[in-house]
Amino acid sequence: MNTKLIISKISKIYPGCIANDKVSLEFGSGKIYALLGENGAGKSTLVKILSGVVKPDEGEVFLNNENIKLNSPLDAKKNNIGMVFQHFNLFETLSVFENLSIDSSKKNEELRLLVNDILKKYNFKIDLDIPVLNLSAGQKQKVEIIRCLIRNPKVLIMDEPTSVLTEQETEDLFVSLKKFSKEGILIIYITHKLKEVLSLCDEVAVMRKGKVVSVSNTKEERIESLANKMVGENLSSVKKKINNFKNSEEILKISNLNFTSDDPYETNLINLNFSLKKGECLGIAGISGNGQSELFQILSGEIITENTSIMFRQKEISKLNPRERREYLMAFSPEDRISQAAVPELKIYENVALNNFKSSNFFEKGLVNEKKIKEHSKKILSNFSVNTDNVELKSQFLSGGNLQKLIIGRELITSPELLVCFNPTWGLDVGAINYIHETLININEQGKSSIVISTDNDELLRLSDRICVIYKGKLSKIMDANTVTPEKLGVLMGGGSID
Amino acid sequence: MSFDINFIGILIGAIMASSVPLILAACGELITERSGVLNLGVEGMMIIGAISGFALMVVTDNLFLAVMGSMLSGLIISIIFALLTQSLLTNHVATGLALTIFGIGMSAMIGKNFVGIPGKEFPLLFVSLKESVPFFGPIFFGHSIILYFAFLLPFLTNYFLKNTKVGLIVRAVGDSPTSASNQGINVLLVRYSCILYGGAMCGLAGAYLSLIYTPQWIENMTGGRGWIALALVVFATWSPIKVLIGALIFGGITILQLHMQAVGLRIPVQLLSALPYIMTIIVLVVISRDSRKIKLNTPTSLGQIFYKEK
Repeated sequence: MNTKLIISKISKIYPGCIANDKVSLEFGSGKIYALLGENGAGKSTLVKILSGVVKPDEGEVFLNNENIKLNSPLDAKKNNIGMVFQHFNLFETLSVFENLSIDSSKKNEELRLLVNDILKKYNFKIDLDIPVLNLSAGQKQKVEIIRCLIRNPKVLIMDEPTSVLTEQETEDLFVSLKKFSKEGILIIYITHKLKEVLSLCDEVAVMRKGKVVSVSNTKEERIESLANKMVGENLSSVKKKINNFKNSEEILKISNLNFTSDDPYETNLINLNFSLKKGECLGIAGISGNGQSELFQILSGEIITENTSIMFRQKEISKLNPRERREYLMAFSPEDRISQAAVPELKIYENVALNNFKSSNFFEKGLVNEKKIKEHSKKILSNFSVNTDNVELKSQFLSGGNLQKLIIGRELITSPELLVCFNPTWGLDVGAINYIHETLININEQGKSSIVISTDNDELLRLSDRICVIYKGKLSKIMDANTVTPEKLGVLMGGGSID
Repeated sequence: MSFDINFIGILIGAIMASSVPLILAACGELITERSGVLNLGVEGMMIIGAISGFALMVVTDNLFLAVMGSMLSGLIISIIFALLTQSLLTNHVATGLALTIFGIGMSAMIGKNFVGIPGKEFPLLFVSLKESVPFFGPIFFGHSIILYFAFLLPFLTNYFLKNTKVGLIVRAVGDSPTSASNQGINVLLVRYSCILYGGAMCGLAGAYLSLIYTPQWIENMTGGRGWIALALVVFATWSPIKVLIGALIFGGITILQLHMQAVGLRIPVQLLSALPYIMTIIVLVVISRDSRKIKLNTPTSLGQIFYKEK
């Protein structure tokens, strides 16, 4: 089976942004193609067009020299184009089998035989009759892949498939993908991870700002060359110098942290104990959904737990709410910028006032002192190089990077002794990531402490003095950052043990 | 003693009759909500069904047409809701409330000329068996065809949701309309159909009230039953069988407390009148307290506005 897919001059324009600008590419079966680019480079739009979810403004798609119209996901299915989305398209409350049967025209018994064959052939282990919400991220992805395989795909598109996987799961995925490729399925692999491109793919197309800037054989590329193509400039990377905190003052001590939830979507935390020195950065690694958001909410005071002791600067603060904790000079930057950290419909200065409504002089006799808030906001905008000086702008019009700078700035301008942040650079481009990293390293150098909870290991290795891993609500041993390797983290993140 | 036993049978028959409008409306709303749409207009659609059924009966003198007409009118006013929430993306809660207010006002206006007109006798089935079989007679026989349908409906609904492809699609849309749309399911079509079906069932519930249960037109005659049906769906955690249990408990205690009032027990009347509401909620909360099951049965996207990426 020889498949040839040609994309010709595809353009898609959203208000204020050209997502795809005359993109042309050619793919043939038997090879794995990487589509590489930063966030916002236009990869996702392109694959949404190929899967029929989004309609292009211009351009054509040819499959085996036939011009195909992809007006809906059904058209993509009819043409045997399968797609595994980054954010899974599964129905969480339905069982695995129901998820598979929903768009299949086969009888249930027939389908079950077919699915069992696929499970056996690729050595997948999934219980077909439990609800999807009980599966791990890696298993959910397998369900998505099986859903594509049922339809005998000619083309299989994987959008950022490893962002939720452990190292082991990633390896398993690569083995499967290589198998599919040998069987003649054309694979298009979307990613921004350079190592994966080199280890898995045969050819790589780099996208930047909606355009294809290079197509090449991966044998001719190295990590640095791809990175420069992707970003379009030479990158300097910040690196932290390792300090010794043996004699420093202890600023935070947490003991007996336990949390049990009735909610099946939440993770229980089991006996967490750790402490933090002045000026130190503790990194907490882990695959998302292993208790990070619960831990963050307990640190910030959104969840109050029984019998937990949180000593911060020699005071017991475990029963204090987030506002009271801020008064003791703690600061928090939650994972979700849009729904937890800022109110997108409010103006910049209003968002700045939100977490300072008690401790500052923004309010007099219950009335808002706009002038003072605006002055303060301007200071944040300039000190933290947010790309605007208009404090009247609604926060939703800031890009992710600028919004994050505003949020971190809002927290840091009050000189807190401890900053807790959760995935601080999630979804940001390289420039903004570098800026946030420099800022976080800076505060440590000024003697302030930080806890960084992140799913990005490179980030943690860059920022932390000590690192531990959270897995199924339990913390691993806390290790000095200079003794930690990505491989070690990977083992711990997958529930394995080292030494 | 035979008198007592027959009396209990008659009582059970009365309880069943009083729970019919709740079962019909709640089963309709359950399907609507399972597709992720929260329609708070149940009361409004019910009362529109009640007046149109009654008016058609008076005008055409044909009960079959009256029942069909009441379903059709419930369906038609649910189209307004569907159009607003699904195509014009208005808020489900506000639109549903408006629909109820609209329905009550509209029915009062149409009903002006029909107040005081006597209803027509609705044909009942197996009347001879009702009198000849002791105890079971009044329970199983001598009811209208709509009552038999209402008691079958929760089981049909359950079967539909659990065992049919279309039921699976409805649940999938309620779980995640975005995923469903990306799988090529026409979310709008599914949600429109579920809203319209819910409307028709509420219309039928209204017709039962004005044509069979109390065959006449009285302004505001649904008396909050639409709201009870809505609450039943939630407290029954979207399970049709539990809706049936809840409706029977509610109907049962309503009838029993009337008898208790008649007997003259020394309990404040207000407390007795509140009893059905309290007991129904307590029982349903107790039988549905498994939080895992609730999670699996709750339509995750309930009340969320869905719009398709273009």
